[in-house]
Amino acid sequence: MNTIVSTYNLSKYFNGICRVNEVNLTVYEGDIYGFLGPNGAGKSTTLKMLLGLIKPTKGNMVIFSKNFNKNRQLILSQTGSLIESPSYYEHLTGLENMRILQRLRNVSNKKVQEALHIVRLEKQQNKLVKHYSLGMKQRLGIAMALINFPKLLILDEPTNGLDPNGIREIRELIKSLPQRYGITVLISTHLLSEIEQIATSVGIINDGNLLFQGSMEQLKAKNKAYISIKTQDNNLAKKILLTEGYKFKQNNDRLIFEDLTDSHIAYLNKLFIGQSIDVIRIEEHRKSLEDIFLELTGKERSL
Amino acid sequence: MIKAISLEFFKLRRKKIFLMITLFLGCEILWAFMSVSISLSRNPNSPVWESTLTTIASMNGLFLPIICAIVSSRICDMENKGNTWKLLISSNLNRKFIYAAKYICSGTLLLYGVVLQAFAITIFTITKSSTVIIPLSLIMRFIGSTMLASMVILALQQWITLAVKNQAFALCFGMIGGFLGIVSDFFPETVRRTVIWSYYTGLCPVKYYFTNGSLELIQQNLGLGMLTAVFLLIIIFYIAGSHHFSRQEI
Repeated sequence: MNTIVSTYNLSKYFNGICRVNEVNLTVYEGDIYGFLGPNGAGKSTTLKMLLGLIKPTKGNMVIFSKNFNKNRQLILSQTGSLIESPSYYEHLTGLENMRILQRLRNVSNKKVQEALHIVRLEKQQNKLVKHYSLGMKQRLGIAMALINFPKLLILDEPTNGLDPNGIREIRELIKSLPQRYGITVLISTHLLSEIEQIATSVGIINDGNLLFQGSMEQLKAKNKAYISIKTQDNNLAKKILLTEGYKFKQNNDRLIFEDLTDSHIAYLNKLFIGQSIDVIRIEEHRKSLEDIFLELTGKERSL
Repeated sequence: MIKAISLEFFKLRRKKIFLMITLFLGCEILWAFMSVSISLSRNPNSPVWESTLTTIASMNGLFLPIICAIVSSRICDMENKGNTWKLLISSNLNRKFIYAAKYICSGTLLLYGVVLQAFAITIFTITKSSTVIIPLSLIMRFIGSTMLASMVILALQQWITLAVKNQAFALCFGMIGGFLGIVSDFFPETVRRTVIWSYYTGLCPVKYYFTNGSLELIQQNLGLGMLTAVFLLIIIFYIAGSHHFSRQEI
């Protein structure tokens, strides 16, 4: 698989404070890479560095297999972006805003109309942007990012301010981009549910450090099930388990088992009953992605 | 570069900036013409062209710094308001080109205002004295000197407008400049040369000359030294502003 974005020890300090610390990001062609982290984790700073809006304090960036500093123009000409909030000239119409991008990107009228069609703004294109709703402004921002159907699309919190229906629409749109247009998407958000539904790869950042990077499957693999058993007499149950050679932990009044197969569960149940220990509960627990995320980023932090 | 300049003009749609300049300068021109008319009625032998040009140049010291501040602010602040710096820069547009395009666009708008003044002066003077031949070179020199002074102020004003996001600061700075521009004629020449807003009268092809307790209007030719100093100031302010803007993080 071709690598579209690679960063090497990418770091950024503001007034001596580290905002992004030696981040090694890898985005593959055709990926929808979810860049996840709490507010203030360093997502936007990283994305801004990828777009040349701020200079890294340290590290290198390679995009489309080319060094960013040496091939800035070429890279930016093939990259679309929507960073933080949408950019627009509110005294101009939606179409006039698109015309500005059209001139900057040297694209045809057909592509302008296609981008407006994708975000369903064709009927509103002649309305002044100051009369647009927040959702329409956000959609215009995405249309502007898509205008030249770039190889790489960088979206920073694209569903901010959208209603549930708008969020669903944008989600479906983003999901369709790699297949329909061959666009690789790098999307940042603090909403885990969003990433869960659209991303094929994930990077989790917190306090400027990249804590996890891999495929969605790899992240979900962390989502191991465990079994908890509650008995009438946990002390006796523990003795029996130790003589039988089972590994377990005690959590309050529950005995916790990892990697326990169905046959082992049935065996343990029989064993306890045979020793006249009443089994009150046998439960399977699964960590949600949110639990994994909170584990990685520190539970005390809110999303 | 041409693309960047044409985009600046495209972005000015519905901003009514030409109307604002026309109305603002219209007030100045009317005020100046009333003043010249009164003066001419008291001193019918005064040279019409010269006195009109000096009056307008003197009032430009008040009005044009304010117009420079407004024009510069309107052209630069629309990028702040719409968060469009990141859009322009991530769309592969060189920051130095953006800065230059905004400067050229502001300068062109000012040129429109100055040409408008020259046109109004010509019409006014012809109506006041139909026998006088239009001194084309004098008018061209007036346009040139006014533009030179405006370009110095614009270079400084654009730097401030982009360095400080709060536009109240840039506009106040322009107004203070306007105040200095109008009162600087009372300062000694050495002080006046350090006040860039006084250059409208300082560079004007006609100036007042005190002789034997009376005022005379004389034509002045600008020395190479003065012109070099003005060009140097433009270059210094422009490069400093452009460099500062290019290093700013968005």
